[in-house]
Amino acid sequence: MDFDDTWHPATHPSGAVLPALLAASQMLPPNTKPNGLEFLLAFNVGLEVQGRLMHFSTEAHDIPKRFHPPSVVGTLGSAAAAAKLLSLSSAQCCHALGIAASLAGAPMANAATQAKPLHVGNATRLGLEAALLAARGMEANPLILDDIPGCSGFSAFYSVYHPKPLSAPGGHHEFLLEKQDIAFKRFPAHLGMHWVVDAALSVRNLFVNYAGSFSPSLIRTIVLKIPVSKYINRPFPSSEHQARHSFQFNACAALLDGEVGLGSFSESSIQRQELRELLGKVVVEHPEDNVANFDKMYGEVALLLHSGDVLTGKCDTFYGHWRKPLSKESLLKKFRSNASHVLPEEKIEAIITLVDNLENLSDSSQLACSL
Amino acid sequence: MAKTDVLTSVWGGTVTGNFAKVIHGLNANQLTDQVIQRSKRMILDTLGVGLLGTSTEVCHKVAQYSKIYSTDLSSTIWGHLDFRLPPLYAAFVNGVAVHSMDFDDTWHPATHPSGAVLPALIALSEAFPQKKKISGLDLLLAFNVGIEVQGRLLHFSREARNIPKRFHPPAVVGTMGSAAACAKLLALDQPDCKNALAIAASYAGAPLANAATQIKPLHVGNAAKHGLEAACLALQGLQGNKQILDMESGMGAFYTDYSPQTLPTLHSYPWLLDQQDVAIKRFPAHLATHWVADAASSLRRKLVERTENLFPLDKIEKVILKVPEVKYVNRPSPASEHEARHSFQFVACSALLDGSMSVESFTSENVHRPALRALLCKTQLEHPADNTPSFDSLYCEVSVTLRDGNTISDRCTTFYGHWRKPLEKEDLEKKFQSNALGTLPAEAVEGIIETVYNLEKVEDCSVLSTFLSGQSARALPEKLRLL
Repeated sequence: MDFDDTWHPATHPSGAVLPALLAASQMLPPNTKPNGLEFLLAFNVGLEVQGRLMHFSTEAHDIPKRFHPPSVVGTLGSAAAAAKLLSLSSAQCCHALGIAASLAGAPMANAATQAKPLHVGNATRLGLEAALLAARGMEANPLILDDIPGCSGFSAFYSVYHPKPLSAPGGHHEFLLEKQDIAFKRFPAHLGMHWVVDAALSVRNLFVNYAGSFSPSLIRTIVLKIPVSKYINRPFPSSEHQARHSFQFNACAALLDGEVGLGSFSESSIQRQELRELLGKVVVEHPEDNVANFDKMYGEVALLLHSGDVLTGKCDTFYGHWRKPLSKESLLKKFRSNASHVLPEEKIEAIITLVDNLENLSDSSQLACSL
Repeated sequence: MAKTDVLTSVWGGTVTGNFAKVIHGLNANQLTDQVIQRSKRMILDTLGVGLLGTSTEVCHKVAQYSKIYSTDLSSTIWGHLDFRLPPLYAAFVNGVAVHSMDFDDTWHPATHPSGAVLPALIALSEAFPQKKKISGLDLLLAFNVGIEVQGRLLHFSREARNIPKRFHPPAVVGTMGSAAACAKLLALDQPDCKNALAIAASYAGAPLANAATQIKPLHVGNAAKHGLEAACLALQGLQGNKQILDMESGMGAFYTDYSPQTLPTLHSYPWLLDQQDVAIKRFPAHLATHWVADAASSLRRKLVERTENLFPLDKIEKVILKVPEVKYVNRPSPASEHEARHSFQFVACSALLDGSMSVESFTSENVHRPALRALLCKTQLEHPADNTPSFDSLYCEVSVTLRDGNTISDRCTTFYGHWRKPLEKEDLEKKFQSNALGTLPAEAVEGIIETVYNLEKVEDCSVLSTFLSGQSARALPEKLRLL
């Protein structure tokens, strides 16, 4: 549903790592179960590797165009995390990365389709497979991350690639997560939509104050100022997957309903007449200063009224972005709301408690069992 | 140098080794409170969205699909009676086996077409929905759809005409070919065929750096398996991008120049395989080394004639190989069988020493023998400007300079087995028998030959799987029922 976390540089880091670790924790025999702290460590190894790999290419700083990042760095992150949890040797960790590279990479064209979720599912699964194969002694190219001209390794996925070593262990290692937090989504759509929705909600408030209520007939044109990114620029999305990847749709849903949530992407919501009409009034502009980058972009929604008046809303940092993180209450609210669709209350609260005390857990496979 | 030596001696110098060291060496004490807090937020959020996500259509489809891994549905692992595997893993294991020694066929533009397709089709034929019987003709048609799609995709990029540098072609087009072939065998409708291709694209692609390692065979195994998986997911109703082959951000992601074209009309369809045959290898090594082997063997005959039928090893001053520039086959001192199969230098020296190449040329003893190592030290490569790295036009010239100053050369422009000089029927059969007899009983070996030669008339191609498992002979002739 495109509801999972997003990082900078852009990828969906947790989805590529957590499922593999949960499965791996259940796989291990009873007397070798990793404790909660080991689980947290493996999780962070998985995130760290993804973040570091993305820093090898300036391409990675912008919203992607060729390969979907979770399928590239996510696969290696999963392999690294699983290798850590399974306590592979240094050489085996190396080979796990190499094997994972041959399982990485899915084209962007499948984003905004039903196949996109598979990118994360496959990243986590294939990364685990790579670690398991390495554990059995399978060997790959020990220079897979290095830049060897004439014969591409991991560099195959980028046109610009400058690998760098991490700090040596034993010395002080600073995790990227320390300096660069994650964005959590408030509704299930591409991260870019969140700026536009907050801007739309802000201008909607102005409009309601101006006109007494939200009256679409007073609006002549809706101008969206957004960065250039083809796969999220969709004037008339026809499926839920497309709607989650449409600046225009998310702006109009926010204007019409005063909020965007789970229900906004149902078939009936996408097809309703008033929304299609509103979509017809949207024009899109790409200001030069609005870069396609989750750290720098903004969203601006302007309502050009028939009366000649112009109302504007702008959002630089949406609530949930790393610069304005979700409060603990908001995060728990999101979790409870999501989980209640499939689990009873006691199980939901049990999971919350387990995660909250994760570092004190003696057997981390309990987390997997609690789901 | 063994792989572990490479790691320990250069870990400080390679990024890869450094990553491995850090992954291995990080410990829990290094997690800060902030990192732990942020992680727990992420973990909770991920679990929540995942739980919610279990109710989506896409998740239902993949869950249904994944149940195949815990059913009794199974397919043959070639050469094994003792165990079977779920069809996807049978495709994987058998696909890896096919490419394990770099002994499988090669096409132009460059890829290994059959290994990505045949294992998937055979595995699928054994586990067909509704237990439907698949005929030999069904198999032949699906096989050719798989080959054709690969060839056509390779024509979408000029890059593909030359020996690759970035992505290993079987991992790119092989996955698509397998998806197409399996979609054909499953008789998917047009929209589902489109989705099979779209889904397969998200599995395609593996970097070339893993060629000449133990992982290379997995490229073909995974191509077979993932193509089959894509077709199965499409059958479940999963949808991808309907313009996957048209878009630069689709298949175009794998190439720097990409110009897709429509296929010819169905009316009297011109198969690429009709116009362009494959090359069949005579020994298990990268195709480019076959030119080297033929030139070196021929040169050795000349040398031996001059020197009373003895190979003058200590009289050799230097060996020069004029070959195209192909970095991943340029290995002056290969340390493993995988590296040896990807080394111009190794094959040249082996052929000079032994007179011909065979499966045994790549055993550990032969890879490390002193005489060969000595000759390797005297071997150099040159890359003439006119020697293009294309399997259609490359050549190899071997020159040996003796201590007395004399130089003898030989050149090979077309090796025996290349599409311009295809293997004779007897030699193809000999190769098959020699390969298969180590694993299957003689009757099964002959049974496979007969079945394949009459494939278009075979009523139920599961007989092929039965032979492949090595099942005992007597039951078999009855199974081989022809239309």
